[in-house]
Amino acid sequence: MEPYGIIPKIGKLLRSKEISCTELTKQYLHSAETENKRLNAYVKLTPEAALKTAAEVDRKLAAGEELSPLAGIPMTLKDNISTNGIETTCCSKILRGYTPIYDATVWDILKRQDAVLIGKANMDEFAMGSSCETSCFGGARNPHNTERVAGGSSGGVASAVAGNLAAFGLGSDTGGSIRQPASFCGIVGLKPTYGAVSRYGLIAYASSFDQIGPITRSVEDAALVYDAIAKYDPMDSTSSEKAQPAFSSLGKDIKGMKIGVPKEYFDGVREDVKAALQNALKVYESLGAEIVDFSMPSIQYSLPVYYILACAEASSNLGRYDGIRYGARTEHYADRDEMICKTRSEGFGAEVKRRILLGTYVLSAGYYDAFYKKAQNLRGTLIRAFEDAFAHCDVIAVPTVPMTAFPLNFTAQDAVETYLTDICTVPVNIAGLPGISVPCGFGGDSMPVGLQLIGARFSEPALLNAAFQYEQAARRDVFRAVETGVVL
Amino acid sequence: MVTHEEILKIARLAKLSVAPEELDSLTKDMNSIIEFADAVNSVAAEDSDFDNSNSLSNVFREDKVVPSYDREEILKNAPNQEDGYFLVRRRM
Repeated sequence: MEPYGIIPKIGKLLRSKEISCTELTKQYLHSAETENKRLNAYVKLTPEAALKTAAEVDRKLAAGEELSPLAGIPMTLKDNISTNGIETTCCSKILRGYTPIYDATVWDILKRQDAVLIGKANMDEFAMGSSCETSCFGGARNPHNTERVAGGSSGGVASAVAGNLAAFGLGSDTGGSIRQPASFCGIVGLKPTYGAVSRYGLIAYASSFDQIGPITRSVEDAALVYDAIAKYDPMDSTSSEKAQPAFSSLGKDIKGMKIGVPKEYFDGVREDVKAALQNALKVYESLGAEIVDFSMPSIQYSLPVYYILACAEASSNLGRYDGIRYGARTEHYADRDEMICKTRSEGFGAEVKRRILLGTYVLSAGYYDAFYKKAQNLRGTLIRAFEDAFAHCDVIAVPTVPMTAFPLNFTAQDAVETYLTDICTVPVNIAGLPGISVPCGFGGDSMPVGLQLIGARFSEPALLNAAFQYEQAARRDVFRAVETGVVL
Repeated sequence: MVTHEEILKIARLAKLSVAPEELDSLTKDMNSIIEFADAVNSVAAEDSDFDNSNSLSNVFREDKVVPSYDREEILKNAPNQEDGYFLVRRRM
């Protein structure tokens, strides 16, 4: 069966000169502009940069020069990925008007490959949220049903890719922010191993959790983009040389592969979501994989561990927004202290403030041992639990989210209620593991459901192949294309 | 339970101001969030090597001068600047 990648498909159209890159880019820019009124996926379109790159690709094609694998591919970047000369706001009022003077390493790589940036994508403010609705520009909508959220925090990228307004995008995942919106929008999202992809130029939320990764239409596309961006970078001191390319592993037989299914991940999961997951496991069995049921009690406290540690890191990382060096500054103030306080209080939204306050609280004298240190120790326990699990299975299969896409205005409700929906995605970030969400069917509300596969550190080749084999076997039953945007 | 006073103290540490009319609802929110976080104290945990959860080793580089960013370019993002410096109001 032919793989489902749209990137190779576009590559062929360009190389066979069936369409020029400029013409293709114009189609995407036009669709992005019209459909954005409905989806709010983009917070900024970048036609000038896009058409310039497209012209360069057309020149190379005319001259018979070789093209890079991602040359001419229309794509998007989450608005926390720094783009030299293009405003980068994290969808926060505090960064409006901020224009980076350097490129994030991932964007530098894609630029050198002549990838075509259609625009910067919507996100929850500073990547803090699960619905994209904490964005100061309003949330992105779900292309499968615009009365539902696209998910978060990389909701804009997922909405653009599912709505055919970009062939792929890069998001960031601190507690599920790539996998969850990919699941909600019925597409593929890969959170790579911590250290596999450079974080240089990614505006920090929680530095020991943050990781950049692709959001794509298919596993084949995810592997292509992963291979391009998983490079050692001296500019990120946590960057690793251990990442292995994944694309060449796609298609390997998975007969005898052991797929671990930890029962705690299914507690509180909606019945229709559970049913879709059970069907996916049956597909794996039909492919010759072996399902291994086991128990991982430690994931039960992963949510508080995540929120304590991520918010502690956020309270420190977001200390830099003081209205002095970049971003917005309050207009009226008496002295410098008031300037900083007012700038921050006016610039940050409610969810960002709550997380800064929680982080400050757990790091403050008297609470540090009970919260921060305790959570760090439990982080160690969770890492060991995953190591034990991977001693007896090759990958772990669980839901990405316990439900399908929320109705709009979900985050207006209780904050803790929203945090609880991250239960299936945060353990991966706590342990620094790679995780991928692939579409695995639909809920009773006919919204997409995601299957999450988790691998050991730097096992992306085997992990992506496991996802690829499922996609090859089940795609027709579990994927639904949206008929908006550029349909190729 | 976290009190109004504690919330104000934490907000001061975080350089955030809390309007009087926000204080009640923020204290309520923070109480439910802290109660949720406190679940970590219902389980036992061994001490772990918690500074190195991502199994990384330290990275050194040679102390070599490399080109950096242009001062004027950096200052373009500042809300206020003068003579190559970030400008803030004089501290009283």
